[in-house]
Amino acid sequence: MCMRCVEISRRSLLVGGGALVASAATGVAQARTRPADMVPLIGPGFRPTETDEKGLWQLMDRAEEEISGSNLLVKEPELVSYLQDIIGHVGGPAAKDMRIYLAHIPDFNAMMFPSGFAVVFTGLLLRMRNEAQLAGVVAHESGHFLRRHMIRSWRDQKRKSDLFAIGAMAAGMGGAAGGVYLGDYVQLAQLGTILSLFAYSRAMEAEADAMGARLIAEAGYRPVEMANVWEQLIGEEDASARYRRKQRRRGSLFDTHPSPNSRMADLRLSATEVTVPGRIYDDRRARYLSKIAPIRQMLLEDQVKLNDPGGSQYLLNTLAQDGWNGMLRYYEGEVWRLRNRAGDDARAAQSYAVAVAYPDAPAEAWRWHGLSLIKEGRSNEGKAALGRYLRMKPAAPDAPFIRQMVG
Amino acid sequence: MRKSGLALALTASVAVSGCVQSRQFADVQFTPPQGNYRLLVMRPDVSVNSLTTGGMAEPRAEWTDQARANIIEALRAEQAGHGGQVLVLARRNELPNVSAEEIADLERLHYAVGNSIALHKYSGAALPSKRGKGLEYTLGEGAVSLGRRTGYDYALFLYAQDNIASTGRTALQVIGVAGCFIGFCAPSGGSNQFAYASLVDLRTGEVVWFNILQTGSQLPGIKFGDIRTPQGAAQMVDRLIGRMKPGSEIREAQAQVKGDR
Repeated sequence: MCMRCVEISRRSLLVGGGALVASAATGVAQARTRPADMVPLIGPGFRPTETDEKGLWQLMDRAEEEISGSNLLVKEPELVSYLQDIIGHVGGPAAKDMRIYLAHIPDFNAMMFPSGFAVVFTGLLLRMRNEAQLAGVVAHESGHFLRRHMIRSWRDQKRKSDLFAIGAMAAGMGGAAGGVYLGDYVQLAQLGTILSLFAYSRAMEAEADAMGARLIAEAGYRPVEMANVWEQLIGEEDASARYRRKQRRRGSLFDTHPSPNSRMADLRLSATEVTVPGRIYDDRRARYLSKIAPIRQMLLEDQVKLNDPGGSQYLLNTLAQDGWNGMLRYYEGEVWRLRNRAGDDARAAQSYAVAVAYPDAPAEAWRWHGLSLIKEGRSNEGKAALGRYLRMKPAAPDAPFIRQMVG
Repeated sequence: MRKSGLALALTASVAVSGCVQSRQFADVQFTPPQGNYRLLVMRPDVSVNSLTTGGMAEPRAEWTDQARANIIEALRAEQAGHGGQVLVLARRNELPNVSAEEIADLERLHYAVGNSIALHKYSGAALPSKRGKGLEYTLGEGAVSLGRRTGYDYALFLYAQDNIASTGRTALQVIGVAGCFIGFCAPSGGSNQFAYASLVDLRTGEVVWFNILQTGSQLPGIKFGDIRTPQGAAQMVDRLIGRMKPGSEIREAQAQVKGDR
């Protein structure tokens, strides 16, 4: 039930599932899921009462204990309470029950667990351009919980694997009694079952998208921002793939999630449906930026070190649509420097030079600006820049070394 | 969740036939604790699932709670027989002067070390450098420091999982075996257990003893002790930790003594 986790859920489905008769009623509507049809299936303070769900929750309580104590979590109290505040706004009836954790993983993902706790990756915070986008993702995850997706898909898997086991046994017995081999049909049925499990998963993702659009619109966020998230993601994956001279992965029958393209298209339609004419929607960009300011440098630092120059460049350009600043320019330089192809040092030098012209340039921008200048032979200017670096960060790990260079 | 990964890997490595299997490894110098020792049992990780007709393991909260309580009781009784003093942790923040994070870290470290033992001792990926050396793994300084501050001599880590075949699963097993008579044999797995225990010497930090227990059968209706009952739990605990053997050097020395006589 995460935004776009592919491998993990697919593998667990293949291992855990493996079952039933081809295309047996999957309960999957091929038509678009409309936000208007998405009503929450649980109220405030929900606790499981049925045996299977109680078991699942017990397991998840253990998982939450592990996750909440993980040293991968970002624990800045301001930021954590900000995320909790957002889920409190777009969480519908369960707003006060859900918990949210921020994991330091430079990847674009978020997930909801069956007992109502969500994990958001830091890579997601880097990519969001405003609070409405973040709220959209959080609302999508809330949608999974409100629509009881985990227990529903568990029951779906259970039903289908039971039916497949019985069907396969019946085919074997019938075949043995009648003297024919039905093994091929059994294999076909198995494939059918697995495919229907994936289709069910995609249907749930579509539900969560529709539910999410409705939740953020009700909370006063501009609904179309959810679609914009996907547009950015598609652009980023294209850019990253193009750089590596490969094609972005297209959708397949084994996808647990609908393709980004179809999600974007559906979300645009949903956005128009949930928009109330005359109501004023906001994206709360300023608030978002001020809240993530303390970790933004860390987010960018993580990204440029992923060795994905295509993706990183696209991302920086996207963020810069709201205006370039010293931080973004510095990391633009870092992308070039770390790529390190012929001419990249000059490109990086240019970015550092531009970066330091902004008042918010990080100390590291002055460091690399200085070193680039020295490399170009402009020793005095370079030393001046390094001096600036030392004044900004006197306790930097390389300070003694730089001090010696400045002389 | 992570522990069941280890469980899966190990289940896959040993053929599921109708039997009870256990295989223990010990440090070459290991002697089973006897007399006046103090044992700290880390929070036992217990889960009981219902095995659906299709073969999925569905976690059951009440069964799990029941089984955990039974296992803790059985552990106390078993250890009392050896004369040791036992504390079974129910929560991570129970020990004075030891934070919950410290216990959590030790559990995680043990999880990684246990995985490594499972891989290199049980799954066939034997390490040439560890051949003939018994069990040569350690939890390091953290474990020693825990022992020093709490006064415990040993820590025991325990994992137990019981999958109980549902009526539908049992019916499927019956049909699968009955099918043999008309030429379609399709036995499928029914109730099964998996458990492991690991003993850490808190004076050295070393994992001195490790055992894995597995039961399971493709014949319907066969049970190997249901840990939801006190008797079943006692049986599992006995099979798992009741028969600790000394390490190879100690055994050789004992054989020598016997031989000399």
